[in-house]
Amino acid sequence: MTTKDGTGTAFDAWRLIGGLEVTLDVDVLVGAYPDRDGPPGLPDEVLRTLARHRIRAGAAASLRAALFDVRSGNDEALALRALRAEGSTFVPVGAVDLRDPIRAARELERLAAAGVRAVRLFPEEQGVEAGFPSVRHVARRATDLDLTVLTGGDVRRFWRPFAGIGARVVFLDTHFYHLGDFLVVAADEPGFHTSTRLLNSPDALEAAAAEVGADRLLYGSRAPHFEPLVPLLRLATGGLKPDEVAAVAGGNAGRLLS
Amino acid sequence: MIIDVHAHWGPWFFTMDVAEANLATMDRYGIDLAIVSATEAVIYDAPAGNRALARLLEGQDRLLGYVTVNPRRLREAARDLDAYLPTGRFVGVKIHTDYTGSPVTSPQLREALALVAEAGCPALVHTWGASVLDLAQVCLDTPGLRVIAGHMGADGFRHAIEAAAGCDRLYLEPCWSHAPAGRIAEVAAAVDGHRLLFGTDATLIDPSSAFGAVAAAGLSAEAAERVAWRNAAGLFGI
Repeated sequence: MTTKDGTGTAFDAWRLIGGLEVTLDVDVLVGAYPDRDGPPGLPDEVLRTLARHRIRAGAAASLRAALFDVRSGNDEALALRALRAEGSTFVPVGAVDLRDPIRAARELERLAAAGVRAVRLFPEEQGVEAGFPSVRHVARRATDLDLTVLTGGDVRRFWRPFAGIGARVVFLDTHFYHLGDFLVVAADEPGFHTSTRLLNSPDALEAAAAEVGADRLLYGSRAPHFEPLVPLLRLATGGLKPDEVAAVAGGNAGRLLS
Repeated sequence: MIIDVHAHWGPWFFTMDVAEANLATMDRYGIDLAIVSATEAVIYDAPAGNRALARLLEGQDRLLGYVTVNPRRLREAARDLDAYLPTGRFVGVKIHTDYTGSPVTSPQLREALALVAEAGCPALVHTWGASVLDLAQVCLDTPGLRVIAGHMGADGFRHAIEAAAGCDRLYLEPCWSHAPAGRIAEVAAAVDGHRLLFGTDATLIDPSSAFGAVAAAGLSAEAAERVAWRNAAGLFGI
């Protein structure tokens, strides 16, 4: 079962996507944003959205944790492990509040002990800039705990607190306008990766694969708040080789998160 | 059949190489015809870009052109409109408000659109946020003008709904590198279906972005046909 689009019309996305499936989407949220319209992000509904787009697992973090209460929000995320729908599942991702780096470090330890492999940072939602000491602190603690960091924010600024410490990072908001900046820092940092969600220029994926390798690219949808069809289409119709497409569609994420 | 009413030809200053991208990306998404503006004309020198585009258009049949107008250079604009619209290879006018430092509320943009109305063709105008409401007001104030709100306000798409409701000569075109869930469906449900167009912003943005966003809206066959080409064919007379 896939989502209904203009099948049979000029806008038949599934004809172009073909048999592509995503084994692990690196950018999924449960919960709602209080400051914007959009879906409520109820876990069952999010899971069904993933299933309709043939996304078999979603690395999901809790907006409750990001915006209100870290501990109960992360408990909500951990409970996602039990959910299944139409062949799709969640891989829980932790979150911390960068406005409280002391408790954030303690929460990282709790998450690591609970078997979580990744923590997601929400700097824009929390009003935190890349140069704030808390970001550097959390980056170092997460790296010490062997956690992969999934971070929002402008890659041109948020690369810096992760540089030179052996961090494993996925930049979730890399826009194709800023692809050049990502590529030059990623060339020096083997742990730097990017989501493909906004790499929407005609050759962004191909340029990134040529410069730093397709193993640095991860499919991310930000379901349910953004349309998963767009990065799916971009990946399915681009110029990457089949093994590279499979790596971007979840192979790389599996290596970093599972 | 798809007509892309918001496309470009020429290089960009970002990390990208789009030299061969026009026809290749169009083929990938079943886009039969694209109306393009020259990036040189949009970003830097309108007459030079228009001239280069005119040469390109002589040699192929799947691209039509926008005459790009810099509202700060209206004498040049008038000259280019006179030179290129009669060729039949140019079917509209493109105005970018940011690159020319000419917001929709500026007197020079108003004068430029008066010139377009006189020329009798539609104008594609860059809109973002609430500026689409300002464009609707200029359109109402300018008899005979037909405008396309490029990006339909991007994150200001709800303003675009209001703008379209207030001005029946304003058309909406959806391209954006972001695809918030439900944006196209919400607009399609609220706006007269005869005033919705399809545009991609190629070669700056891969068509997957607009195509995927429109596909996600699940339009009926009739609505999809109007968006895909029928409305554009009527508006541009092609």
